Amino acid sequence: MNHPTVGVVAAGADEQSNGAWGKARASLSGAVGSIGITLVAVLIVGGLWVGGSFFSRSNLSIIGSNVTVPLLVGTLSGFALLAGVVDLSIGSNAGFCAAVFAYLGLHGWGGWQAAGVVVVLSLVVGAVNAIAVVGFGANSIAATLGMLTVLRGLSYVICGTGGGLEKLIPGLYSFTNRQLGPFPDIFLLTILVVVLATVLAMRGRVGWHIRAVGGDERAALRAGISVVRARWGVFLLSGLGAGLGGILYEGQLGGATNLLGTGLEFQVYAALMIGGYSILRGGVGNPAGGAMGLLVVAGVTDIIDVKAINTYYTDVIVGVLLVLVVLLDRLRGGDAYE
Amino acid sequence: MPELAQGRLAPDEPTAARPGPPSLKLAPPRASWSRSEDVGTAAMIAATWGLLVVVSALHRGDFLSRQTLLSVTFTMAIVGVLAVGQALVAMSGGILDLSVQTALILPAWVAVSLLARGVNILLVILAALAAGGAWGLLNALIIVFGKLNPVIVTLGTNFAGAAVLNILFQSAQTPISSGLAKWGSGTFLALPNIFWPMVAIVALAGYFVPRSRAGRHMVAVGGNPQAARTRGISLRKTRFSVFVASGILSGCAALLFAASNLNFVPNDGSTFLLPTLASVIVAGIALSGGVGNLWMILLSVGLLSTVPTSFAFFGFSDTWQMVPPGVILVIAVSIDGYRRARSRR
Repeated sequence: MNHPTVGVVAAGADEQSNGAWGKARASLSGAVGSIGITLVAVLIVGGLWVGGSFFSRSNLSIIGSNVTVPLLVGTLSGFALLAGVVDLSIGSNAGFCAAVFAYLGLHGWGGWQAAGVVVVLSLVVGAVNAIAVVGFGANSIAATLGMLTVLRGLSYVICGTGGGLEKLIPGLYSFTNRQLGPFPDIFLLTILVVVLATVLAMRGRVGWHIRAVGGDERAALRAGISVVRARWGVFLLSGLGAGLGGILYEGQLGGATNLLGTGLEFQVYAALMIGGYSILRGGVGNPAGGAMGLLVVAGVTDIIDVKAINTYYTDVIVGVLLVLVVLLDRLRGGDAYE
Repeated sequence: MPELAQGRLAPDEPTAARPGPPSLKLAPPRASWSRSEDVGTAAMIAATWGLLVVVSALHRGDFLSRQTLLSVTFTMAIVGVLAVGQALVAMSGGILDLSVQTALILPAWVAVSLLARGVNILLVILAALAAGGAWGLLNALIIVFGKLNPVIVTLGTNFAGAAVLNILFQSAQTPISSGLAKWGSGTFLALPNIFWPMVAIVALAGYFVPRSRAGRHMVAVGGNPQAARTRGISLRKTRFSVFVASGILSGCAALLFAASNLNFVPNDGSTFLLPTLASVIVAGIALSGGVGNLWMILLSVGLLSTVPTSFAFFGFSDTWQMVPPGVILVIAVSIDGYRRARSRR
């Protein structure tokens, strides 16, 4: 979606420092442009097909609360994609964190202490991923797929034979259900996170380093950017996102099941790719575009829900959309695979 | 058991790890992986497997039983066949095929639907293989003509494919009275029937890939596509044949699946992705392409299939069963990455 910029990043170290601003602007407008059109199209289809009730307070509130966790998790794990690594463990990490939170709640822990433990655990997960991928040079898709299984397995262990834990944490429950206008507070807070992430990724030095590492690792090294530090950072951030997502899950549901978060990673990455990220090369995409990708998928899901169509049609649409978007990206000058 | 399999793993001829003619040695890190690396990998897997068996047997003597042997070989069958298909994709530079779920369930559903209508078993087998091949062809068409990366394409087609399967049927049954179901519950030479086709497929692929023209072309494309193209190897043809072959193999796996899982739902297929990938990676088959010895799959699948049984003998409940394969995968890819980094230096 923003190939001129990729070209610059991939071109080599010499051009690294030039045009960082232009790059940022171009990729923001490029990606945001085409995904924005898709989002508007989804809204129009929703408005026409579902009718005015698509924009009703209750429906917006449903969309908002459904998309919050994927949005938060996707925004933070998008940094890993920017840095050229994939963290597939986010879905089961969120489920695992929700299960731990519910477990601690059931065993008499206070909400804040439990949240602290969960956040630390989610960072530990990120650190283990970083050790495997950054430390040992493991393929990130394969290594984090292993982590995905470990965490799903641990969720089964924590949830026990019943398959689920019920623990309503009153403060957290009311926090996740509070509304401001038609939207849940947590959705609006997550939008704030998206805005901050976009600024960090596209305007800040840190974001520039991360994108440079993802665009061309060796060029970034030669420009004096620490690849190791950038990738460690993004794995920790991705883990943290999943941890926070897990806490919100627990709050929304008043408990956790051993299947919670299954497939979230594929949904999130499909949406992020629709929003202009790439899971195969770093340095492309930005949090605002990714957020719109997630909103597109959330909008489609909601239309299918409201129309009482078999929910699997959402996956069909997402799958086809994904391939089409990647094809469009390639036709605009993205990397060709031969 | 490990010793037995290890004997097979030291073929005298050059293996797939050598991409043939010297003109292809343009990718130094890959070309430097040779038979000694293979023997090292084999020894390591066999040693881990042996250790697991010994420790489990010391913990509980009854681990070394016919029951364990049956359960391990039973688990090996479907994953082993899928792993060969996945390995072909990886070795040819196709990275990963994430559509294992659809590739397995689509042919299985076709097979049991035809069986239920009383179609002749030979036609059923052909139809299952054709369904698998057609799925591979669909992926290949998108990958080759769209010039798109297989990982994303198979992620997308699996999303859509698995959803379509869920729309088409909720659950499917293999007719209990059918020949397939009876065969699936039988044994041959004291091991499950479904185990033997897997051994045959690994053996055929392990023997022919390094020796046949098509096989060497495939590995050459995976090692260095540009060099392969300059030598006149068609990348398109290679991609097509690899994905169709991998699809046909998943058709075989689907028959073994339908023969041993008489009642299945579309999402049952998703549990096979991880063990399949883990087996390929543990077998030392590089995801970056051009490197791999298919015989190693027997060892890696054997090791990974023993883990759940041994775990059960250590008194871990069923809820623990997903943890060890994940840990093994993380460790295996870390070792793989470390070795690649070292050989690059």
